[in-house]
Amino acid sequence: MIEARNVAYRYEGAEESAVDGVSLTIHDGSFVVLAGPNGSGKTTLVRQFNGLLEPDSGTVSVNGQAVAGNVVAARTAVAMTFQDPRDGFVAATVGADVAFGPENLGLSRDEIDRRVGDALAAVQMDGRGDERIDRLSGGERARVAIAGALAMAPDHLVLDEPFAGLDEPARRSVLDRLRALHSDGTGIVVVTHDLRDLVAPADRVVVMNEGQVALDAPPDDAIDRLPALGVRAPC
Amino acid sequence: MSAETGDVELVGDAAASNLARAALFAALIGAFAYVSFPNPVSPAPVTLQVLGVFLAGILLGPVWGGAACGLYLLAGALGAPVFAGGSAGLGVLVGPTAGYLWSYPFAAAAIGSVVHGGVSLTDPKAAGLARLVGAMVLGVVVIYPAEALKIAAGVGIVRSDAIAAAR
Amino acid sequence: MLSYEPHDSLAHRLDPRAKLAVQVGFALAAFAHTTPRGLAILTALAGCVLAAARLSPIAALREARYALPFLVAGPAIAALTPGPPWIAASQAVVPALASYRVLVVLVVSVAYVRTTRVRDSRTAVQSLVPGRPGRFLGVGVALVFRFLPVLLADLSRTRTAMRARLGSERGLIDRMEIVTSAGVRRAFGRADRLGVALRARCFAWNPTLSRLRFARRDVAALCFAGGLVAWTLV
Repeated sequence: MIEARNVAYRYEGAEESAVDGVSLTIHDGSFVVLAGPNGSGKTTLVRQFNGLLEPDSGTVSVNGQAVAGNVVAARTAVAMTFQDPRDGFVAATVGADVAFGPENLGLSRDEIDRRVGDALAAVQMDGRGDERIDRLSGGERARVAIAGALAMAPDHLVLDEPFAGLDEPARRSVLDRLRALHSDGTGIVVVTHDLRDLVAPADRVVVMNEGQVALDAPPDDAIDRLPALGVRAPC
Repeated sequence: MSAETGDVELVGDAAASNLARAALFAALIGAFAYVSFPNPVSPAPVTLQVLGVFLAGILLGPVWGGAACGLYLLAGALGAPVFAGGSAGLGVLVGPTAGYLWSYPFAAAAIGSVVHGGVSLTDPKAAGLARLVGAMVLGVVVIYPAEALKIAAGVGIVRSDAIAAAR
Repeated sequence: MLSYEPHDSLAHRLDPRAKLAVQVGFALAAFAHTTPRGLAILTALAGCVLAAARLSPIAALREARYALPFLVAGPAIAALTPGPPWIAASQAVVPALASYRVLVVLVVSVAYVRTTRVRDSRTAVQSLVPGRPGRFLGVGVALVFRFLPVLLADLSRTRTAMRARLGSERGLIDRMEIVTSAGVRRAFGRADRLGVALRARCFAWNPTLSRLRFARRDVAALCFAGGLVAWTLV
């Protein structure tokens, strides 16, 4: 469970707070869509879930433990992928990259190999561990990035704009994998400005605006109110 | 953040971002080896490689700039095709251009310490023009000592000729 | 571009540390015995290395082609004499031997690159250099391999864009400046995003390292390397 209490964060030199007094609880196994226009504070908020940013005020805890007190536990429980996965890979080949997280956790080699195999299977990239990342398609790259996060065996998978730059088939393939992961019990948080195809799988839509939570509702209730908040409603 | 779980010794935020920059700069120096411009005065094309080494010192400072060049050499030795013409391997580091290559980390460190006035990082924009030019000249002398000597000797000859002519 | 190619040759199965030792041995021996006899022996040994890597000498020479002009130029220039008969072959002997020595070492290193995975090289570095410096070098090397193609694509996009806007009419210095500053800017942007991604994945100083275990064949390779080093002392 991720719990944010009155969290505020302002970037150095910025006039306004990027996140301004947000309280939010995300339960294990839920599928949350975090939407909002550009600059509404979505990315800044989720980066405090795993200690990539430390709130100026307020607290964030993961599974009952303050993030600031145990960053490794938070980063293990809340795994994250970023907008351009290209810049997040640490190795030239698929398997070596996916192994990076579990290697850092100091797991045994057998456990690492098992996790890499499972993570690649979960994104339908099994048996492709030796392929070079720079030869993959955009959709395959997005899925390998997800595998890298899954290898941490997280409770929650947070994806920051996972569909940016993907064509329709690639978008479908990523979305299918997210649905499958969710049905296997992994909590999913999708940060996006585009809600297409996300309303059906989501349990909850949270919309941010100017650093605050403007709406937090089940998808069916949220749809009608989206345009007023600067988010394009899915057709 | 300093908190740790169990035995995981997290790399600090600053070290992680410096390492990322040094590695990307090492890759950039390698990529610059592929960018050649026709040279107006010589048949050998101009590549941006040495410029990359200078920029590593200027932008990353003496420590991380030198480290970036060290990573460049090691990655090339282990097979990354980052040397001239996409070549790689330990052999290049004893080959005909080895002298230049080995001087890169020293040149970047020398340039960095002149520009930043020591080992700690300052804003390179704050360094005066004289300091930047001085750093570049030092870099050239470190990478091309033989050529620099020839130029110096050439300048000497020209000057003594000029003096002789003036008499 | 020279890079690893999968195969199941003997050289592919050797421990990367043993292969690095052989390369160092070759370089040392070639510098200690730059004589026709010494180089003839080393040529035969390099042939064995190529055979172990299932690499043809022609393919290996092709990978070393960038160096050939330099290697030929040395002896050629040395042979010139200022006056009749203009060319003195005897003066070219020593530089020619030096050039040939470099060629032998290059060919052996081509065999290493062709037969060794990046991951194994990285592990070798981390097992040879202990502690944090080893971790820095290991991860750094892996990142160079990963980002070289990405940055090359960035640079070629910049050049294409420049050409499309009649950049070729600009001066050389101007064009170099555009390509360089775009390259640096993009690289820094990527480095900052990479730094965040590294931290999100618990980037640690003390990770689990890959398994490298010396087998009997590695002991043989190490003896070979040791023999080369010993020969340099003779």
